[in-house]
Amino acid sequence: MAISIRDNLSPIVHDAHAVMPRNDTGHPGFTLTIDGKTVTAYESQTLLSVANDNGITDIPNMCDDEKLEPTAACRMCLVHIEGVSQPLPSCTTPAMPGMVVRTKSDELFHIRRTNLELLLSDHNAYCQPPCQVDCPTHIDIPGYLELIAKGSMKEAARLVKEVLPFPYILGLTCPAPCQKACRRALVEEEIAICRMHGHAAETCLLDPPHPYPKDPSTGKKIAIVGSGPGGLTCAYYLALKGHYCKVFEMMPQPGGMLRYGIPEYRLPKDVMDRELQHVWDLGVDLQSNVKLGVDFSIDDLFAQGFDAVYLAIGAWTSNPLSVPGEDAEGVINAIAFLADKVEGKPVPVKEGREVVVFGGGFTTFDCTRTSLRLGAKVHTGYRRSVKEMTATPEEIEDAEAEGTELMFYVQQTKVIVENGKVAGIECIKNKLGEPDASGRRRPVPIPGSEFVIQCDTIIPAFGQNPDKSVLDEKSGVKWSKRTTIETDPFNYMTDRYGVFAGGDAQMGAKTIIECVAQGKLGARSIHAFLNGEDMNEVARRLELEERKPDLFDIVPYKPVEPKVKMPMLPYEQRKRSFELIELGYLQQQAEREAARCLQCACPAAGQCDLQKYSIEHGLADNRFHDGEPGDYHDYELDLSHSFILRDPNKCINCTQCVRVCHDVIGPDCYGMFGKGFDTIVSTPFNVSLHDTDCVSCGACVQVCPTGSLMMAERTLKRYAFALDRCIFCGDCVEVCPHGALGETPNFELSFFNRFGEDVTLEKGDLAVAPNYLVRQRLPRGKKDVPVMSPLVRPLPARGIRE
Amino acid sequence: MPEFDASYRVIRRRGEPDVRSLEAYRRAGGYAALEKAIRQQPPRQVIQHVLDAQLRGRGGAGRPTGEKWRIVSQQPDDTRYVICNAYDADERSLAAHTMLERNPHQVIEGIVLAAYAVGASEAYLFTSSLYLEGIASVQRALQEALDTNLVGRDILGTEFNCTINVVGVDIGFMGGEETVQIAMIKGRRGMPEQRPPYPAQAGLWDRPTVVNSIETLANVPVIVRDGPQAFTSVGSATTSGTKVLTIYDYVPDSEPKVVEVPFGATLREILRHAGFNRAEGELRAVVVGGAEGGALPTSLLDTPFDFDRLEEIGAIVGSGIIELLPANTCMVAWAMERSRYLSKESCGKCVPCRLGMKRITGILEGIISDLGANNDLDVLDEFAHYVPDGSLCGFGIHAPNSLKTAKLYWLEHFRMHIQEQQCPTGTCIPVRAHRFVTKHVLP
Repeated sequence: MAISIRDNLSPIVHDAHAVMPRNDTGHPGFTLTIDGKTVTAYESQTLLSVANDNGITDIPNMCDDEKLEPTAACRMCLVHIEGVSQPLPSCTTPAMPGMVVRTKSDELFHIRRTNLELLLSDHNAYCQPPCQVDCPTHIDIPGYLELIAKGSMKEAARLVKEVLPFPYILGLTCPAPCQKACRRALVEEEIAICRMHGHAAETCLLDPPHPYPKDPSTGKKIAIVGSGPGGLTCAYYLALKGHYCKVFEMMPQPGGMLRYGIPEYRLPKDVMDRELQHVWDLGVDLQSNVKLGVDFSIDDLFAQGFDAVYLAIGAWTSNPLSVPGEDAEGVINAIAFLADKVEGKPVPVKEGREVVVFGGGFTTFDCTRTSLRLGAKVHTGYRRSVKEMTATPEEIEDAEAEGTELMFYVQQTKVIVENGKVAGIECIKNKLGEPDASGRRRPVPIPGSEFVIQCDTIIPAFGQNPDKSVLDEKSGVKWSKRTTIETDPFNYMTDRYGVFAGGDAQMGAKTIIECVAQGKLGARSIHAFLNGEDMNEVARRLELEERKPDLFDIVPYKPVEPKVKMPMLPYEQRKRSFELIELGYLQQQAEREAARCLQCACPAAGQCDLQKYSIEHGLADNRFHDGEPGDYHDYELDLSHSFILRDPNKCINCTQCVRVCHDVIGPDCYGMFGKGFDTIVSTPFNVSLHDTDCVSCGACVQVCPTGSLMMAERTLKRYAFALDRCIFCGDCVEVCPHGALGETPNFELSFFNRFGEDVTLEKGDLAVAPNYLVRQRLPRGKKDVPVMSPLVRPLPARGIRE
Repeated sequence: MPEFDASYRVIRRRGEPDVRSLEAYRRAGGYAALEKAIRQQPPRQVIQHVLDAQLRGRGGAGRPTGEKWRIVSQQPDDTRYVICNAYDADERSLAAHTMLERNPHQVIEGIVLAAYAVGASEAYLFTSSLYLEGIASVQRALQEALDTNLVGRDILGTEFNCTINVVGVDIGFMGGEETVQIAMIKGRRGMPEQRPPYPAQAGLWDRPTVVNSIETLANVPVIVRDGPQAFTSVGSATTSGTKVLTIYDYVPDSEPKVVEVPFGATLREILRHAGFNRAEGELRAVVVGGAEGGALPTSLLDTPFDFDRLEEIGAIVGSGIIELLPANTCMVAWAMERSRYLSKESCGKCVPCRLGMKRITGILEGIISDLGANNDLDVLDEFAHYVPDGSLCGFGIHAPNSLKTAKLYWLEHFRMHIQEQQCPTGTCIPVRAHRFVTKHVLP
């Protein structure tokens, strides 16, 4: 007989204690305070996970991941805990009942920002290439330089043509704002970025690459007024989009200022025509010798059935001399002078003449050097110093070497006229006063310093303005106070519906590359307009795209590699000759120069925690530039693995890859090596990742907070799979070393996507191998990473036998 | 003047009987404490005696040892470990080396007593693989103790078991850090872990673990054998007992002295006891605490040697090294050398220590190369606070001590280098051609 010892008769008495909530693993809950908010936590939770669970997600951290054991290496997640003197990392500190935690303070902010500053001080990399950001058209400069270094000239030209239709022309004429930003200048000298795309395009001028295949015809018609760089760029990209374009030009030949404003020795017109031919090859029509406002009006264009009009009429009116006697014979118009020379018409400047050119811009020097080549004696006067000149230093240097006399701080006061002809000009000396609105110091005349220069020709080249007379009020297009066509700043539509404007006419006289950039944006805006999109939405989108990103100036340390100089025509051969002065690179020279590119681009930019937090912490400066080589690291890249690229220069030693490979995946491919400042995460004995036990799972790439581990770009091979012969034996599932094939309840075969969620393919899809969208990472952990586009690019369905 | 000669407890001096063999150690009263504890005292009482004796950890932090043992013994876990830290972080300290070599049985007895007190049955003796004589001596002693049931299974015929594993590694300075030793025993890279949780709660294999320095454990048999009152008769009011110190003269390659002194003795008395009778004019500074210690001017020689008193003036007990610097030392160069050494010894785990110490070194190198600027001093001040505040372990917390004390007591050396671009003692040789410059973010 069993004896029951349980008392089933007495009433059950419960202990009088509060019922604590328990989580799903049975850990008892308690409360604590974070930033004044009372939150519930469970035993064995860390402060960071408690905070994340309760919506406090702004504790920064770069080395923690929910599937990994915390390590507290990055020191970003430090918090104050009441009663503890030192700040403690929330990723390792266990939550305790009644804790009072503060996640923000000036002290913590300072520690976090200094951490980031120190990491950046040895972060031998760059988020976005500064050259690309500073280029108005945003050419993928590291991309095409890499292609040139490999010798793929045509592909490089194609890449450039995606945003710039005239790489050869710009290669000769662009003032190259990209080169001023080049990070190589921090090592020794900037790269000849601009001349490089010129070289690439030169190799394939007669067999031009198309940036992308031309779209089928849409039946829309666009009229483009002006065939300068802005107008032709717009025509080029609209034509690629399948629209019909017709260009109206007032001059006999197309090219605008490229043809009529730039002398032959800088840009040979026959070669220029070859590159412009690429536009006509796309089916763009040209009607020359017709002038807006004289031969046709905007209303006429719409009447002819054009759906949109792009005004790129340029800036052709030279600013006057504005002193007494300016109407005398011998005072000539700079633009007319250059245009007449190009057209082969007689020009007033010739041997024996004495010419004074005023101004400090590109036109000034074009006039100066053209006059020199015509055999005249030339003086170039500018009212400020050489520093304020807008022409490039090379241009000024060349002009002086070719024989002009540069005069600074001089301002014209009066033309001395004899018999209705110029006999000289009276000038006055200047000194510099306070900076004006443009930031340049205002010249102030010194009384009594007047002097006279004997001369017979005066060319004022103080800049140009658009010709206002071509558009009257009836046209519906408004002019701004600065005598430019008024448009929306981002979608470039004028006040008249369907009429867009760009180039010099919209900006005032600017550089060629800025006009090309405007033409490109104008084309996108017009394309969107023709597709019936909301123009406010278009403006918003274009504004976002053009917004300048935050960049960091990071210490580079690279071995010195001297610049390959552009071979130039010797000065003595330039006399009386309009031959092209830049002789061009040889192929080997170009490849060597392009190989100097530091490849500042980082594919992780925008998804990098280091970048994100540095921006958030307003990191204003880095105090550790330009030290000794031993202060920085310059590691070799490991690109030998088929799927995973390693750049230790971007590693911040967070050890997430070490832990995920050891603790989660298992092969244990990574470890920390070295000691002290030279500690770095690498593979055992620093062998190639390819030679480790790596299973190519990609977990390390997923957890990497920076761009140190990246997925390699790859195209998968397609294997034909004859489903009608498959007997679903599962042998392939058995032998696949990567578990890429697996059994599922629904289908006999499934397909696991590397780096993504499992994808179960329908039987009919099996033959169609997906392409991975590389360079994208999955959202990690509980952090707010935007959801990426689907990893498997959907392909049109097709049968196995096709 | 304290009774220096009467206060030798863990060090055997020259002329005293050799106790390296079990027999000799027993003759000198050895293992009496272990017998007494195991046969007469429950573990709780041993812990109480250690608490009463106010034994503070000799490893540098000076935490009460009894408190640590109590926490470990109260953890709800039946597997506990003892780690004896016989690894001198600063290789210039000879304390662990000397104890292992001359007095191995007292160390073993201390370890077994600690294991008995906290209920551990596995202990590790973590030491440097370079102490060849010390390791040989302690292994011989362990074999003897094992043969006579003083270590191993059924110690002294009771049911108490305690095995001792000797682990020898050589990983430089960081090997002296307790969590590094735990990681090394687990077979991981020697890098410290963030505390809390402390090893006493989650240590080796996440079990409660006592990590005590070899000197702390060597003192335990004295406490158990003679009782807490006898132990506290030597020492200061806040810290009882003695400290083993290694003292270096400034003459290169001179033989260091290893002495054991009672806490509370002044630095001047300690130097005199060790036989260093330098006139104050010959000295620039006395460095107390080893590589992470602070430099003190001779005017502070009357400071008592004690945890709190030293920390007040910028120095630490640390590795137990006292070092004399000659009068022609440029203190900027000294701080630079120290920072450079420490920036190479950092484990590389946390950012403030790995990069902060490197940048401090770079700035100091700039100053001694006469490339300094006035704002360098502000940056140094900032980093002297940032590195300890942000660092993960004690290494980073104490790493800027040399910089802090050099700047506190010898600011004129920094000023002279920066403003007059001249070394105050004419001894500095430029080591850099470029100083760090600030560049702004683009745009």
